[in-house]
Amino acid sequence: MQKILIIEDDELISHELKNLLDNNNYEGVILGDFKNPLKEIKDIKPDLILLDINIPYMNGEMLLKNLRETSNTPVIMVTSRNSDIDEALSITYGADDYITKPYNPNILLLRIGAVLKRLNNGTDALVFKDLTINISKGIIKKENIEIILTKNEMIIFNYLVNHQNKIVTRDELMTALWNNEEFINDNALTVNVSRLRAKLKEIGLVDAIDTRKGIGYILS
Amino acid sequence: MRFKDYLKDKVYAIILTFLSIGIIYLIFKAYRIETGIIFSGIIIFLICNVIIMLIDYFRKKRFYNEFLTNIEELDKAYLVLETLEYPEFYEGKLLYQSLYEINKSYFENVNKINNSRKAFKEYVEMWIHDVKIPLASLTLTINNHQNEINPKIKSQIKRLEDYVDQVLYYVRSENAEKDYLIKKIDLGSIIKNIGIKNMDDLLENHIEFVVEKINIDVLSDAKWLEFILGQIINNAIKYKRNIKNSYIKITAKEDKTKVVLTIEDNGIGIKDTDIKQVFDKSFTGENGRTRSKSTGMGLYIAKNMCEKLGHKITLESIVNKYTRVSITFAKNDFYETLK
Repeated sequence: MQKILIIEDDELISHELKNLLDNNNYEGVILGDFKNPLKEIKDIKPDLILLDINIPYMNGEMLLKNLRETSNTPVIMVTSRNSDIDEALSITYGADDYITKPYNPNILLLRIGAVLKRLNNGTDALVFKDLTINISKGIIKKENIEIILTKNEMIIFNYLVNHQNKIVTRDELMTALWNNEEFINDNALTVNVSRLRAKLKEIGLVDAIDTRKGIGYILS
Repeated sequence: MRFKDYLKDKVYAIILTFLSIGIIYLIFKAYRIETGIIFSGIIIFLICNVIIMLIDYFRKKRFYNEFLTNIEELDKAYLVLETLEYPEFYEGKLLYQSLYEINKSYFENVNKINNSRKAFKEYVEMWIHDVKIPLASLTLTINNHQNEINPKIKSQIKRLEDYVDQVLYYVRSENAEKDYLIKKIDLGSIIKNIGIKNMDDLLENHIEFVVEKINIDVLSDAKWLEFILGQIINNAIKYKRNIKNSYIKITAKEDKTKVVLTIEDNGIGIKDTDIKQVFDKSFTGENGRTRSKSTGMGLYIAKNMCEKLGHKITLESIVNKYTRVSITFAKNDFYETLK
């Protein structure tokens, strides 16, 4: 499980952030010692850091600058200051992404996923059972049978595979689709899911996607 | 300063001079002084008077004419003192010194107001920064307890966020300091962000969000543009018609000199008589009064920001048909060559 360090001085936010990350197959760790953050970061060895700009003792941008002297750990800056100038400064200091409070939690998760994936250079390819999945071509292969997914179906399937055995809400799927500039409505989502289900049936995956009424879907 | 007006102003001195000449003539005549001597005396007296008057006129004329034309030509008339030489005559000196004092107290006052404005702006920005922390923790908490919490709370929090942002950008756009950063940004990614931000509202109101190929680069500030477009989309959602196929359509057109981004909805539209005023401060119009509470600030701030960024914003509409807002981004050859 990938470890994500939360550097944030508001207790409620860091607590809820940890909850969010723990619920989404990450391990959230909250930084406790703001006096010597660099030492604690070294001990925790996180895979990614969520760094707030307004933290005690040291400004988040300064901490990032100091951290970058010794470490390449990916950092996503989180701040309630909303200006292009702050954003440009953070990126100059070596932040991998920048997100403003209050953020959409689904988007935060997508951004974390994107940063981690970029760093792994796509080595953690999509794996589900014994399928060969080619995301960019939209092709799923099982032995000799090949099925072709549309872009929307692939986005949904991709998301479900990344959250296997966990209930995925319609809201999460919708956000993933809109984040890929596919601005579809509720009906279209239902239609896309049932088409995806029918296509998976063709390669012998009957009832792979289960509907949890009023909540969402689960792939298993 | 014209000579005629100057003479008019000196009319009593002139009358008095001639009167005294008449009296002197009569007195000298009574002492039987020769007429030739009297006249030469009078002529010397007259010439002296004329010379005194002319010298006085030209000294004043130089100063006042410069003063008046400079006031007219300067776009900031209060700076006129900086352009004048210190006058040589007494009245001019008095005027110059008083103006100097008035200016000084005026600038002190303006400075005081500017400082308090700046402090107020900083306070508002800090307050908004602070208020966003509980908003962020609320958003996270709701997300983590989706099953137990009424989804209406989520939309109310979004409304709160929108109002808070409106204050932030109002303060930023009204201030003289430059709070924005113009760079190349992709319209597509801006629209994507706005789409996701308003996703819940759009889905709940069954409004189709149609975005045609708009991945075009423009020169703007990403955060400011996001706010401007957010205001337009908010209005489109707020003033939708109760019909089945409501939509918001976003298109962009590019030519050699400009990019035009158009946001069109098929909502209730705006009355002809109201269109001219939609960008005015605090204007709510018929829609704002009858449909929902409106502050009349959104489009005013948007227009203000567009002007600062150098974009043109226009609106056309037909009641119960459509509302179309267009933003024109000029292309900058200078920026292209600099790259």
